[in-house]
Amino acid sequence: MRANATLLLIAPTVGLLVGFLVIPYLNMVVMSFRTPSTSQVFAPGYTFANYLKAIFDPDFYYLRVLRDTMALGVTTTAICLVLGYPVAYHLARTPSRFKSILYAFILSPLLVGVVVRCYGWMIILGNNDGLINNILRDLGLIQTPIQLMYNTFGVSVGLVHIFLPFMILPILGAIQSIDPALEEAAQSLGATRLKTIFRVVFPLSLPGVQAGSVLVFVLTISAYVTPILLGGFKVVIMPTLVIQQLLDAMLWPFGAALAFILSFSGAVVVYLYFMATSWFMKGIR
Amino acid sequence: MARLAVKDLSKRFGEVVAVDGIDLEIEERELVSLLGPSGCGKTTTLRCIAGFETPTAGRILFDGADILGLPPEARNIGMVFQNYALFPHMTVTQNLAFGLEMRRVPKAEMAARIARVLETVQLEGYGERYPRQLSGGQQQRIALGRALVIEPRVLLLDEPLANLDAKLREEMRFFVRSLQKRVGITTVYVTHDQAEAMVISDRIAVMFQGGIHQIGTPTEIYMRPVSREVANFIGLSNFIEARVRGRDEGGAYVLESALGEIRSAHLDSLREGEAVTLIVRPEAIVLLKDKPDRVGANAISGRVKERYFLGNITGYRIACAGDAVLQVQGEPWAAFAIGDPIWCRFDADKTWIIGD
Amino acid sequence: MRAAAVLRKRLGRGLYLGLVGFVYAFLLLPLVIVVLASLNAGEYLTFPPEGFSLRWYVSFFNSDPFIDSLVFSLWLAFLCMIIATLLGSMVALYVVRFARKWRDQLRLFILMPLLLPEILTAIALLFFYYRIETVLGGLGLEGVGGAFHKTFLGLLIGHVLVTLPFVFLGLSASLYNFDLSLEEAARSLGADKYTTFRRITLPIVKPGIIAGALLSFIISFDLFNISLLLKATGIVTLPIQLFDYVRFEFDPTAAAVSTVSIVITVIAIVLTEKLVGLRSLRF
Repeated sequence: MRANATLLLIAPTVGLLVGFLVIPYLNMVVMSFRTPSTSQVFAPGYTFANYLKAIFDPDFYYLRVLRDTMALGVTTTAICLVLGYPVAYHLARTPSRFKSILYAFILSPLLVGVVVRCYGWMIILGNNDGLINNILRDLGLIQTPIQLMYNTFGVSVGLVHIFLPFMILPILGAIQSIDPALEEAAQSLGATRLKTIFRVVFPLSLPGVQAGSVLVFVLTISAYVTPILLGGFKVVIMPTLVIQQLLDAMLWPFGAALAFILSFSGAVVVYLYFMATSWFMKGIR
Repeated sequence: MARLAVKDLSKRFGEVVAVDGIDLEIEERELVSLLGPSGCGKTTTLRCIAGFETPTAGRILFDGADILGLPPEARNIGMVFQNYALFPHMTVTQNLAFGLEMRRVPKAEMAARIARVLETVQLEGYGERYPRQLSGGQQQRIALGRALVIEPRVLLLDEPLANLDAKLREEMRFFVRSLQKRVGITTVYVTHDQAEAMVISDRIAVMFQGGIHQIGTPTEIYMRPVSREVANFIGLSNFIEARVRGRDEGGAYVLESALGEIRSAHLDSLREGEAVTLIVRPEAIVLLKDKPDRVGANAISGRVKERYFLGNITGYRIACAGDAVLQVQGEPWAAFAIGDPIWCRFDADKTWIIGD
Repeated sequence: MRAAAVLRKRLGRGLYLGLVGFVYAFLLLPLVIVVLASLNAGEYLTFPPEGFSLRWYVSFFNSDPFIDSLVFSLWLAFLCMIIATLLGSMVALYVVRFARKWRDQLRLFILMPLLLPEILTAIALLFFYYRIETVLGGLGLEGVGGAFHKTFLGLLIGHVLVTLPFVFLGLSASLYNFDLSLEEAARSLGADKYTTFRRITLPIVKPGIIAGALLSFIISFDLFNISLLLKATGIVTLPIQLFDYVRFEFDPTAAAVSTVSIVITVIAIVLTEKLVGLRSLRF
């Protein structure tokens, strides 16, 4: 009798998840095989046409967009790693009393919406009257404004900014669980700070690096707001196309197919990444 | 009738047998310690009595009534935990009041009892403090007070002094004991510290690997241990393997050992030819330069192997015949140097024999 | 030789701290800029700024669409917080205390909405809601479902789905670290299981619950993808309204809106600090 009573605790949530997560996802898979139609959400019948269209025509356009999306994901992840690792290391090891303030600095962008953050960058990077262009013009360094927005650069800046905390936090956790005595031991044996980090800390923090990288990558390839606000119509990536199919073109089945192709490609990249890093980790074990 | 009786209690966790059929009877107002190394089952036994573990077999009786099946809150026990377990979100007064609230004690009486208990544990005026504002020793006293203010049938303590530093622990021993005596409550006390058990207990139950090896007063346990493990656990011991040769005119047993002939005034009867282990405590051995000639005393010759100064005593390790080493405790100011030939003397009535 | 090494070390340390400082500045820059722009007299942000003015805030408060969407977002976030906290707490309790065989699988299941990209979840829900409408329509129950994918309830469900895992994580961490001997002490003093939970466990894990609730509020308030696809008829949330606005206007009214949004988040955090700080002393 007690067992039944406690099951009541999870019943509503499990019901909610099954009914509004599991089933909708399965439904989405089915949707991707339906026939698209312009007059209604979908026409009767099932087909592979959506996937074929996504892969082959016109002119492999969608595959090129997919490639650009993956590339953007990889570059964003790499930049986040390079910028984020030193910050994570610093926060993990600093004896400063400002530790909690710094922690708040890293978390605070997360608590503000993505639209607000992108808008902030729009003000800064604006092509005609952005802050940077204004300053450079006032200083007389440039005549014509430099294009910082509505291109890949602007989108990258935005993406790196939005997802940097997601790289920092897992790495921070990993480094905090590494005994500082290990670094002291390395130094006592003659290694410089930098060598210690490369040879001792980084390999041991690899699970955190992995977690952060995968997180940032997956978030980047599914980002919608940032590329639109900071890339305009110039930078087109998969999520943009998918939403377009859903809201503008009303070709829901096709949109679903695109979404799955994106997911699948992302999964493949993540899998390859894990293969590569486990091979690397085996070397140091 | 015993206040608390444990009959053939067993508890296993999967494959592991934590408690293996123990029997224990504790009289009213008595303090019995469960003493043993970690993993011996003493804490598990206590938790069975409290009701936090269900025994696999056996019975637990309070005043003759079987309490199996009763949840902890219905057993009318008072428990003191190793980490105090004071409710951090309540003041001292609220902590003390909690058990009384569960028993629906009227407010006026509650206030009076709490005031009395604060006085007893010498923490009057601390009522409005929070646990985190108290030192370790103060927290422990409040934990004690919280368990006593409800006037339970039995007081259970699970290594309550383990988290205190050495000096404080020694002081608190006396405090706990005098409090228990004054209140007169039946108490079970779990500890791995043998000095602690010796100081506070009416009787000690020495446990190893789920079983009780010996129950007795501190003196009995120390002077007449029934097994090697018990002898080893309480204080230091010298174990000498010997064989019974016979008895002499005075009635003492004469034994043959690698160290020579030894006389023991052991009380129980021994058979001739029996192989036994003789125990003699380090403090019972006196070191002399010349061969002792006291009648009835044993004299073993040897050489000083090691020597260490502990402040109140000097410890020696004496190498004797056949690789044997005797541990001896001598006065701190004696002057025997390493390598000196030496005689060890101990009286026949300061030995004890364990059968093999 | 030694001097060179010391110099190198100093330089390296300088670079390291410089990089770290740069990243922190980078993280905070847009937020600071937005606040500055909202108070700037001019339409574009220059350095030095043109002057101080509150005209953009005036513009914001005069704008019906913005105010309406702000109120709507607050209301939605509040409801979402209540429901997500309730459900999330119940699950956390079950998983930490009662789950035996399937504990890890259950954990993973509950965290699923976090692990799946929000945009996919939004799309899946949109399709599913439409399916519900079709099914209901086929059964002749058009009136009941109506355009479910455009209803408030549909939007709320989406929000709850995505924020529930955060409440779960917050509380399960607190419960996991909870000192069980406190409950045993309460029981040894005569409290039964329910009283122990009510008087001892709950007050002590309250900070974990409140932290989770706060997080779900903030996340719901800022949610974009789900709010975009599951737009309720006639009204949008603040992030969507802001998004539509800044795509085509370069008017710093958006900065005022953004700053208000930031301020609301800060207030929520500070309020919780006060609440959790005081509450943990009482019961």
